Amino acid sequence: MSRLRPALLIAAKDLRVEMRTKDILPAVGLFALLVVTVASFAFPTSGPGREGVAAGMLWMAFLFAGLLGMGRSFALESEEACIAGLVASPAPSESIFIGKLLSNLVFTLAAEAAILPAFLVLLQLNPGPGLPLLLVTSVAGTFGIVVVGTLLSAMAVNTRTREAILPILAIPISVPALIASVQATQAALEGKDIAAAAPWLFLLVGYGAMFLLVALATFPYVLEE
Amino acid sequence: MTSTDAPALGMRLEGVRKSFGVQVALAGVDLEIPQGSSVAIMGPNGAGKTTLLKTMAGLAAPTAGNVSLAGVDLRRAGAGLRALVGFVSHEAMLYPDLTVHENLEFFARLFGLPQPEKAIQIRVEQLKLGHVLDRAVRALSRGTRQRAAIARSLLHSPLVLLLDEPYTGLDEAAAESLTDLLNELRTPDRTLVMAVHEMSRAVAVAERLIVIGDGRVKIDSPIAGQQEELASTYMSLLRAAAEVRL
Amino acid sequence: MTQQRVAAPPESPAAKRIPLWKILALPTVALMGVLVYAALALAPEDADQGPAQRIFYIHVPSAWIAFLAFAVVFVASVALLATGKRKWDDRAVASAEVGVVFTTVVMLTGPLWARPVWGVYWEWDPKLTAVFILWLIYMSYLALRSYVPDPSRRARFSAVLGIAGFLDVPIVYLAVRWWRGLHPEAVVLGKGGPQLPASMLQILLFGVFTFTLLYLVLFTLRLHVGRLRSAQEEVQA
Repeated sequence: MSRLRPALLIAAKDLRVEMRTKDILPAVGLFALLVVTVASFAFPTSGPGREGVAAGMLWMAFLFAGLLGMGRSFALESEEACIAGLVASPAPSESIFIGKLLSNLVFTLAAEAAILPAFLVLLQLNPGPGLPLLLVTSVAGTFGIVVVGTLLSAMAVNTRTREAILPILAIPISVPALIASVQATQAALEGKDIAAAAPWLFLLVGYGAMFLLVALATFPYVLEE
Repeated sequence: MTSTDAPALGMRLEGVRKSFGVQVALAGVDLEIPQGSSVAIMGPNGAGKTTLLKTMAGLAAPTAGNVSLAGVDLRRAGAGLRALVGFVSHEAMLYPDLTVHENLEFFARLFGLPQPEKAIQIRVEQLKLGHVLDRAVRALSRGTRQRAAIARSLLHSPLVLLLDEPYTGLDEAAAESLTDLLNELRTPDRTLVMAVHEMSRAVAVAERLIVIGDGRVKIDSPIAGQQEELASTYMSLLRAAAEVRL
Repeated sequence: MTQQRVAAPPESPAAKRIPLWKILALPTVALMGVLVYAALALAPEDADQGPAQRIFYIHVPSAWIAFLAFAVVFVASVALLATGKRKWDDRAVASAEVGVVFTTVVMLTGPLWARPVWGVYWEWDPKLTAVFILWLIYMSYLALRSYVPDPSRRARFSAVLGIAGFLDVPIVYLAVRWWRGLHPEAVVLGKGGPQLPASMLQILLFGVFTFTLLYLVLFTLRLHVGRLRSAQEEVQA
């Protein structure tokens, strides 16, 4: 059995459930918007250096909202022990992880795509030539955060406090991705091009790749009873 | 005692142990379950029945010993062998917000069945689910949900069907219905292993009784003609276990 | 919740030997005393930083041992996943708890050193930030453990987090380094070998040795406490 096919089936199933229940996407999108709003009141968003502040706000929103969505996604699997149904199937554990990773990526990126324009408008920012860098960073940074979040949410859902513990587990480990994403986003908002932030992008790609390998290697132990 | 052909496609557990440090869920279980047999597993709460079924389903890996199906170690063959086992838990393992049909379609594809629609149709008819195909699983009664769960577990025509306390939460009518269904499912190709709480359920479906206590096999006996003795032995075992806990 | 059944713990040969912490405890306390004396009285005063620099002899060894402790957590975590044996989980959690102690010492001595020398209690420089994140990862590791009741699952989940966390810390260091940089340049592991005057280097290495002994004492003591606790749970079950 190919590795990819079960992963795609699982991701498609997640999307179908989401279209039916609309549990995750509206909550994630709204929460991200709220974080940006609160941050706007809390931090100075005008004056010199505001691109840095804005970049930080954006990634706080992406991170918290993303974690919310990932927690919900695995919570849906643990209802009715569905995850056991997946484990008892011929699908290898790597495929289960990739499937959940894909659907988490779709949800998070979709929410970000909705938030980004609102964010630029609310904060009166125009990246101009920095737009490609902004988009690439959003994808690369999100990838890193979602890889780690998917692995940890599979564990979090099996604890006494369920998904509530996910931010505690994920945030310290996400720090490098956060730093890199904020720095690259700041550069983007300042109008710089992709080359200017290349080291940060390399770090994000490396981070994502490394944790993808760690996740694939350790996921069977997370799924085991 | 081994015969040559019937056990070959059955399940065998050798020295199966599931423990972590000083906590022991299974303390060394040896079982030979020939293909086509129907076995009931009973035991006090926490004796290890669920753990035993989960190791047979490939959901839990034993810390020692091995579980093999058709002579092949489950751990080594992994994915391929899981396709020959069906598992029914007291949780439905169906996505509550999808319809019965969507669930069955998902699992049929996940199991890589060459003709998913045909397999679904067969089980829908067998389990009489035709009228709820387009209902969300969340909206079904416990009995119907369980029939849907059993349909899911049978889609890939497993050689071994494992059921963990299937009678829990069923009213008498649904329970009788389940008993009839399980008896229908007893074919020479298929092995049925069922964990139950009540002797009457075991007697109605199984030909062999295995009692687990303290992670070990305490009783392993054919049921026919020995129901009374088995019932009283079982009761004293339960009493002894309850005393230890007090 | 499944009833816990326990096997009689086998008589381990370790139970008969005198435990390491008993042997090492007093000598270690003595050596720590010597270290403090050496740091305060014997070490030459730093020309630039003045007396505040003396805390370096506590701060740096603590940091190295904090990372050593986390490395032990990593090795024990990998071993736990590979073998499934409980002893590796016992070792991982013992090293994690002891590691938190050393990391906290670094976090406390850092500001004490920083204020007189840099003028601020804290700076987001690569090394301090890496230690701070290390501290947070340790705390999340212990938090995770407290929320998973089943011992086998707790061990496996902790192991995964221990592995992920350990691999993360170097990347944190790298990221912050690219972002900032204020820490005194590495004086021992920097380019061209140690750049400390010999007298300071000697006391520093003595400090590392002493702190390593302290780690061993605390680690083996914590393992012992862990065993007592398991035995207690056994009796209560």
